[in-house]
Amino acid sequence: MAAVSQLQRQFIEYTTSLYNEGYLDDQFTQLQKLQDESNPEFVVEVVSLFFEDSEKLLNNLATALQQKIVDYKQVDSHVHQFKGSSSSIGAQRVTNVCVHFRNYCEEKNLDGCLRCLQQVKHEYILVRNKLEALFRLEQQILQAGGSIPMME
Amino acid sequence: MAAKQHKRNYMISRSSSTPPMASFVKRLFGKIHSAVNSWERNHSPCRRRSLHRDVEQEDLQHINTNCLSSYYSVFVARLAIMVMLAILIGLLTLLTWHFTKVYTRTSLNALAYGLRYELLQRPVLRMWSILNSTVEITTAQVRLSEYVIRKYNRPENQAQQVELYEVMRDVTWALFASYRALNSITIKYKNGFVQAFHRDPRDNSTYYIYNDLTNYTMSGPYDVNMSSSHQGWNDQTIHSNISAIWYREPLDPNTGEKIGKQKAIPPDELINIAGISQVPYGAASWHVAVSKFTNSPLLSAAMPVWDESQGNIMAVVGVTTSLYSVGQLMKELVGFHSGHIYLTSQEGWLLATSSTTPLLTNSSTGPKLMMAVDSQDPVIQTGAKWLLKAYGNKPPPNHEVHIEHAKLGHQTYYIDSFFLNLKRLPMVGVLIIPRKYIMGKVDERAFKTLMILISASVCILIIGCVCIFVLTNGVSKEMKLRAELISHLDARRKAEASSNYKSQFLANMSHELRTPMAAVIGLLDILISDECLTNEQYATISQIRRCSTALLRLLNNILDISKVESGKLVLEEAEFDMGRELEGLVDMFSVQCKNHNVETVIDLSDDMPKVVQGDSARVVQIFANLISNSIKFTTSGYIILRGWCEDPHSCIENGKFSFDQKALWPAQKNKLIQQENQEKSSCKKDNRVILWFEVDDTGCGIDPSKWESVFESFEQADPSTTRLHGGTGLGLCIVRTLVNKMGGEIRVVKKNGPGTLMQLYLLLGTPVDMPLENYKLKYADHNLKVVLALNGSMCRMILSKWLFKTGVHTWEACEWNELTHILQELFIPSRYTQNLTYECSKVESISKQEMEVSVFIIVIDIGLLNLSTDIWKEQLNFLDIFYKRAKFAWVLNHDTSNTIKMELHNRGHLMMVNEPLYKSKMVQIMEAAIKEKMISLRHGILGGDTHEFLEIDNVHSDPESSNDSEKSELNCSTTGIVQVEETRRTRSSSRYGIVNNCFLELTEVCSERNKQGANETFPVSQEKRMQYAEKTISEQKSLKGVRILLAEDTPILQRVATIMLEKMGATVVVVGDGMQAVEALQTPSEGGMTTQTKMRVPPPYDLILMDCQMPKMDGYEATKAIRRAEMGTDLHIPIVALTAHAMSSDEAKCLEVGMDAYLTKPIDCKLMVSTILSLTKLQPNSLT
Repeated sequence: MAAVSQLQRQFIEYTTSLYNEGYLDDQFTQLQKLQDESNPEFVVEVVSLFFEDSEKLLNNLATALQQKIVDYKQVDSHVHQFKGSSSSIGAQRVTNVCVHFRNYCEEKNLDGCLRCLQQVKHEYILVRNKLEALFRLEQQILQAGGSIPMME
Repeated sequence: MAAKQHKRNYMISRSSSTPPMASFVKRLFGKIHSAVNSWERNHSPCRRRSLHRDVEQEDLQHINTNCLSSYYSVFVARLAIMVMLAILIGLLTLLTWHFTKVYTRTSLNALAYGLRYELLQRPVLRMWSILNSTVEITTAQVRLSEYVIRKYNRPENQAQQVELYEVMRDVTWALFASYRALNSITIKYKNGFVQAFHRDPRDNSTYYIYNDLTNYTMSGPYDVNMSSSHQGWNDQTIHSNISAIWYREPLDPNTGEKIGKQKAIPPDELINIAGISQVPYGAASWHVAVSKFTNSPLLSAAMPVWDESQGNIMAVVGVTTSLYSVGQLMKELVGFHSGHIYLTSQEGWLLATSSTTPLLTNSSTGPKLMMAVDSQDPVIQTGAKWLLKAYGNKPPPNHEVHIEHAKLGHQTYYIDSFFLNLKRLPMVGVLIIPRKYIMGKVDERAFKTLMILISASVCILIIGCVCIFVLTNGVSKEMKLRAELISHLDARRKAEASSNYKSQFLANMSHELRTPMAAVIGLLDILISDECLTNEQYATISQIRRCSTALLRLLNNILDISKVESGKLVLEEAEFDMGRELEGLVDMFSVQCKNHNVETVIDLSDDMPKVVQGDSARVVQIFANLISNSIKFTTSGYIILRGWCEDPHSCIENGKFSFDQKALWPAQKNKLIQQENQEKSSCKKDNRVILWFEVDDTGCGIDPSKWESVFESFEQADPSTTRLHGGTGLGLCIVRTLVNKMGGEIRVVKKNGPGTLMQLYLLLGTPVDMPLENYKLKYADHNLKVVLALNGSMCRMILSKWLFKTGVHTWEACEWNELTHILQELFIPSRYTQNLTYECSKVESISKQEMEVSVFIIVIDIGLLNLSTDIWKEQLNFLDIFYKRAKFAWVLNHDTSNTIKMELHNRGHLMMVNEPLYKSKMVQIMEAAIKEKMISLRHGILGGDTHEFLEIDNVHSDPESSNDSEKSELNCSTTGIVQVEETRRTRSSSRYGIVNNCFLELTEVCSERNKQGANETFPVSQEKRMQYAEKTISEQKSLKGVRILLAEDTPILQRVATIMLEKMGATVVVVGDGMQAVEALQTPSEGGMTTQTKMRVPPPYDLILMDCQMPKMDGYEATKAIRRAEMGTDLHIPIVALTAHAMSSDEAKCLEVGMDAYLTKPIDCKLMVSTILSLTKLQPNSLT
């Protein structure tokens, strides 16, 4: 039982750090609130959807920016989509970079776009790792027989 | 020549002055250029301004520089004109001077030339004549000698020889005597004998000179050969013949007689004797000789005497003439004309001068000729030197020299020389005349003229410059003024434009401003309806709600103003019940007034048309503003809203203005009548009436000087009001604009006593001639008797007057005791028979029978009861006595507690109205009483079912239902009021603009909910409404049963939104793009539409959540397609945009394509729910 409580404490600390460091925002809390008995795996489901979507989008972006003549409109729509999906799961930092990315798109600044792509990738990988770690913790708690503590 | 010279000089001077001239011209051009530039600079902005009239980005600094540059340009132009004038005048002066001078000078020069020529010619001619005469005499002597010698040819002896000499002497004397100018005549024979006559000018004596004949030889004649004769005839022989003795004997100059003894003369005193050497070629010769006897050079001529037969020279004749007379002539000429003349030989030997200086130099060898340059006369000397210097040894071809400006010493002279070309004796005559003599006056005059001209031109220049300065000063002032005017115009246009921009901006911003406010209020309503709120939270939220409403009201005011200012306000024409609207308004405000201890009274005359045509919302707005204004400034007293129809006489007749201002009313009125007399006739024709209104309060009043300005925007009568009462000062401005729009006017009217009296009239249409309700007939029949027990004196007075007019008996009471008196007098007359009051006698007159027939209505203000203690129950008990005989109507306060109401209800007092009591409420009460009476008469039972009446009451005051339903538990009274007010407001605003719908819907939903919360028997005729009503009750499943189509391509968002909505109980169908969304809508609805009516079949979904950016077909396109499909049907599916864009332009775009609301990602659950609720709720409402 002590292990469970320790895990729970660890979980809370970890989640708090995620919020504090700005990786996640309230939207993620909302997601968590939406998760209930009818959708027990809701958060994981949505987040993995986000991962899939993001991988695809990042690939698309990379190819689009490698073209000789960059179609900024397309890039912009990709980034827009990425922004929408990231904001939906509350990946705040990704969303912020997306905003910058879109500005560069409007300016048709290829260097800025490429830089932003790197940043977005970086932020995405970061948030993915964090979330995966979070989910692992959750799994551990559940396996240990504890319940996931709710964040207030 | 002189003219040419002058011209050349002039040319030189001009050419020398060219460089400064050129630079000046350059500078002038530069200045003109800069002036033109500045002019262009001045004007190019104008052009630009005129081109881009709407571009208002000119800064003031630019205008300033413009002014400055224009000032400079004026300055430069002025300078240029002055300079040009100066040049002109200068040229004029120079030309005048030049021409006058040149012409005089040339003519003078010509004259002078002639004079000089003449002067010089004369001595030369004299010279010539001297020469001629000399030659003639010589020739004559020669001829005579030839004759004589031929006659005595070959003298054989001494005597003949002597005779010959004697004859020769006589002949020679005759010639000599006949010509006095001669100096001497000499004859030298070839044998060496010499005979000569000589005149000595020094002592004027004449001598005969001869040599002794001892020496001469008779041997051998002269060599015939001229060349050979040279041998024998050389002068050497004669001169060297020193041994010869010369004799001189003085003679009488007239007769030639010998008067003295002969004397031998020393050789150095011998005169020149012409010898054979002087006639080397046997021809005549001349030369200039010098003798010691005269100061002047002598001209001597020599000629040989030929012996024709032998062909040899017999003798040589020499004649010497003094040139003295030439000098004399010259002296005379010079004495007359001044100047100097001299004559030289070609070599420069001085022959004759006009001066008295000696012409010869004495040297050791005797007198010698002098060079002109060595002359002792300074002028001649310098002149000769000058000539020598000018021409050197190479004189001009014919020695003719004319010089006009020869500077000799300190004076200038004319120098002229002529060449007299004699074969043997070429001579040069030189004339030196001081220039002053000929041109002296001219030069002086020319100088003076120049001076005068220059000074005159300078004067003219100065005057001209002053004139130009004065003239251009006016012009420049005008230009300055004009520039200022232009800048002012500019500033004004800018100001107008900015004000225009402001209005436009606000008008355009209206929906952006109202939408969030609507959302805020809607959300607050949702919150308020939340059951699990604590009291504190509830209070806070209601506070927020109030504040938001206030803010919205302010916003609406500003937007109204801007709408009016930008000319977008359009009044609608719809029929409405003016009376009801105004009564509702007064109801609303009375609550507020109660807090202030102010009585609100409405007093509308009976002749007011019931239904008028116009913009009800705006009319209400006018009065709402006026009344709220009055309330704001009235702390105690009353506020009366009076209204009557345009027929001023009737107004006065019916005694409406029996108050304090009655006295001055007619005057006021007459003025107005005159104003509108013309209108009236025309108005009546097209069914328009003029409705007069007055808002009368007992507040602080307005200073008369501010009566006009209070209607300006942002203007308040007293600056401190903002601090005390708040407000923006926009209210009255809006009112006036609206009144003017409705063809009316508003003004502040003088009033006796404290307070303000606002008077206005509106020009409104009436649909048809509606019959006026004649209350008089209606109630007089029923024998109504009313006891008015009211607190408010104003209200009571007005009502009683009106009742009296309609033929209803009234008794008035203002406090409890009075009421008990009246009641007891009325119903228990026995006790008070002895009372002789007016009322009593009146009461007395009512017979028992009449008591039975008539209907008594007792209107009691709840305030009459003593509510602070429990006495009010006693009072009610007292009233119960009369319960069966009279009808009780209670006037309740808004804060009357429920216990009292319940108590009243329990006691059977069912007729209750809210404050304030006014005509139509009174009518309701009376009608209810009459109806009851009728029923009771019909059934024979008194006190029948009274619930009916309550209902009547409620139905009549429908708009105020939420206000009237005091039993509402959820709404505290104040919120209720706010709500009604707000509903009115939103109604008024909802007629304009689409976005307002949202707000209207929100508030309607709220009011609906309030009604439900109040557990009132709500007449729900439609199933849908019931359904929604149920839905709203459950908080968690607020969206239960709502079918939502979610068009979203991102799987994450699909998932999230679905879960969110499902949690709220909604049914969600997800599609991936716009195309699918359109399809999902079309198939079922098409089938439905063909078979059934549109109203009944609901669309497959209640709402669509539409992502804006989607593949295939984006949200905008999909919405457009859906709206197109809906066209022609009454269907309108609410579409809510869902986008990650957060710019307002996106929102505008969404609304433009036909979406109803707008949500941003990430989805905010609460906001989404409230939006969906507001849209789905509205649906059935807007359809019915």
